[in-house]
Amino acid sequence: MIHIKKFTYLPGEHELEAASNSYLMSLLAIIVGLPLPIVNLIATFIFYLGNRKSSYFVRWHCTQALLSQLSLLVMNSYAFWWTVSIFFEDQTITNNYIAYIIVAIVFNLIEFITTIYIAVNTRKGIHVEWWLYGTLTNLICKKRI
Amino acid sequence: MKKVIIQISLAVILFFGLWFSLAQVNWVKIFDVEKNIDKTEQKLGNLFWKFFKNSEKENTNIQTTKTIDSIVNHLCNANKIDRKKIKVHILLKDEINAFALPNGHLIIYSGLVLNADSQEELAGVICHEIAHIELKHVMRKLIRETGISLLISITTGNGNLEVIKETAKLLSSAAFSRELEKEADMKAVDYLLNAKVNPAPFADFLYKLSEINPTIPEYLTWVSSHPESKERAKYVVEYSKQKDADYKTIISTKTWEELKNNLKE
Repeated sequence: MIHIKKFTYLPGEHELEAASNSYLMSLLAIIVGLPLPIVNLIATFIFYLGNRKSSYFVRWHCTQALLSQLSLLVMNSYAFWWTVSIFFEDQTITNNYIAYIIVAIVFNLIEFITTIYIAVNTRKGIHVEWWLYGTLTNLICKKRI
Repeated sequence: MKKVIIQISLAVILFFGLWFSLAQVNWVKIFDVEKNIDKTEQKLGNLFWKFFKNSEKENTNIQTTKTIDSIVNHLCNANKIDRKKIKVHILLKDEINAFALPNGHLIIYSGLVLNADSQEELAGVICHEIAHIELKHVMRKLIRETGISLLISITTGNGNLEVIKETAKLLSSAAFSRELEKEADMKAVDYLLNAKVNPAPFADFLYKLSEINPTIPEYLTWVSSHPESKERAKYVVEYSKQKDADYKTIISTKTWEELKNNLKE
């Protein structure tokens, strides 16, 4: 699920703080923005834009945080609109719907806990790579020469 | 790149696999979803009926109640519909109207009975409304028009009288969607045929009312709230032509006349 790896260089104190904040930003937005799933993505994206000219370490973690929010956005948007259609249209509550909501809650919880874990560790200077998001980030985020 | 594709595939499989596996569990039963919806429907039905009971005059003539009951009993028995589920109320009002409320409440206005030329016409309209109840159209219409959140707020006592009034008006004077109306018409014809009641007068009734040029349009609520009456009359005739049956009357002509006389008084 998560891998602790050695980063290419030793990041400075201010970098650790900024990188850790990118995760905290998404967490804060989740709390503030629930049940609208778009809020956390917008918050993380703004933070990403603000830090896109930062050091490699900060950019790397901002990208990882953004990617994790993107997948949540897709999943939560579907859950959100499905729920809206039940409440405001004539859709009924089915086993499929309840199963989807359970899966969405489980994935959100895992994401929430992992985000806290990574935020704490990043602040301590430990470079944590998320399964899938870490691999994707390595592909997207390159070190500037 | 290969690693990413494998990981994405795994994540997708994990997500859909988990969703599919969990969907096999009967959550609806575990969470008593049906029961909770039924409870809401029950509360709404009682609330709306109370509203109509307080705002209109209810029939108190036992003979009239018994006659309408015998028609409804016959239709329900012939179609294996739980009679206890259908709660018939006759309101003394000139409006030609009948409508279903949540929880099986069926309101018939005296104006409708008085304007029906035969018991088959009345039976047709009753079957149409029972079909709406049996096919769960009433709650679907309410949820579509008002949203479940408003309905829940009404049942929990947070809905004010104005909201109840508006929603009750929606139930008594607004039509269901075209497909739901057609579905109810077809079901009504089936009910009539099973009860050995000729469906042709039901079609005639629709046609007849669509032809009337009312001086006071609000008296023709049932037809004005059910548009395309001519078209409906046509497909009711077409549909019933395909079925053969021996037709009988539910009540005697004398009882039918007595019913109308009682309501005229």
